[in-house]
Amino acid sequence: MINPTNTNLPALTGTSQTGGASASSAAGGGETSFADSLQKSIDEVSRLQQDATKAVDDVATGQTQNVTGVMTAVEKADMAFKTLLAIRAKLMDAYDDIKGISV
Amino acid sequence: MFLDRLLNQGNAPLLEQWLQFTEARERLLAEDVANVSTPHYQQKDLSLAQFQSALRERMNLRDSSPPGAVRFEDISMDVQSPRHNLMFHDGNNRSMEQLMTDQAKNALMHTLAVELLRQQYSVMEMALRERVS
Amino acid sequence: MFDILDTGASGLMAQRIRLDTIAGNIANINTTRDADGKNDPYRRRFVVLAPGRADDPSLPGVHVQQVGIDPSPLIRRYEPGNPEADKEGYVSYPNIDLSIEYVNALEASRAYEANVTIMDTAKSMFTSSLRLLA
Repeated sequence: MINPTNTNLPALTGTSQTGGASASSAAGGGETSFADSLQKSIDEVSRLQQDATKAVDDVATGQTQNVTGVMTAVEKADMAFKTLLAIRAKLMDAYDDIKGISV
Repeated sequence: MFLDRLLNQGNAPLLEQWLQFTEARERLLAEDVANVSTPHYQQKDLSLAQFQSALRERMNLRDSSPPGAVRFEDISMDVQSPRHNLMFHDGNNRSMEQLMTDQAKNALMHTLAVELLRQQYSVMEMALRERVS
Repeated sequence: MFDILDTGASGLMAQRIRLDTIAGNIANINTTRDADGKNDPYRRRFVVLAPGRADDPSLPGVHVQQVGIDPSPLIRRYEPGNPEADKEGYVSYPNIDLSIEYVNALEASRAYEANVTIMDTAKSMFTSSLRLLA
């Protein structure tokens, strides 16, 4: 009973050390990775919107009969755009809050 | 000028032309159905295949031109008589099944185009409002 | 989704032509003369249906390939007093069996209804998928 806990401790300290190392590296590269992920999200939204535009073009010119595919593509692009807009709204509110902090 | 570009971006002009086409075709089909028992009446129709290929050409032209240069409003169609090899003794060349099917397809396409266009304008509105709802 | 309606419409037209042929057969069940008045009994007509639409046989659907004339022997009845009788006293009547024609007509009308149901189902599927966009 005592032995298993003793043997677990090194394992726990081992994970906490590696966890700490990764956390510090994330904190160290924090600003660029957030901007990168934001940029990737914007690119993703743009890609989804282009897919939706192409799908609607195809169904309007009769090149595809897959109407449900078109609708899901349009809806996905819509949801992605709304998500991005909501993130932007939150970021603007956060910036206003920070600006309003009186020093 | 930039308002023109804003309102005509993406699929909006394409969908507007599609709506106009389906409306004009619905009118012709209604006239055909009304004249189902008229002797020597030639059925009138607008060809969907022709419209779609004209639209595709205009789209390809738009992709290879500077933005705002290519308009969609001047796509015009001629009224034709459908060819389905039927002739009745009174000189009428109707086919009730074909008429009702074309009318159903036309109505479905119209609904689809309306929904897609509405969704486009709501995305533009959302961007202007800067809020999701 | 839209070409399902065209497939259904081709089925409707084919069944309608079949029903027209059957109606013609039933109407002419005792016709012993042709349009010119000569003694040429009406022969049973039947439709030959083939897959593919009339304008494009590679698309799904059905079309009437031809309206054929049934070559089976005519029904001969012994009526020596009839002016139409041949030298042995037999009159030739069309090779049409009313019960067969009636059953075929029933089948054609059921097939017509089934095609209409398919088209209705396709339309309601489309309308319900429009709710994705709402």
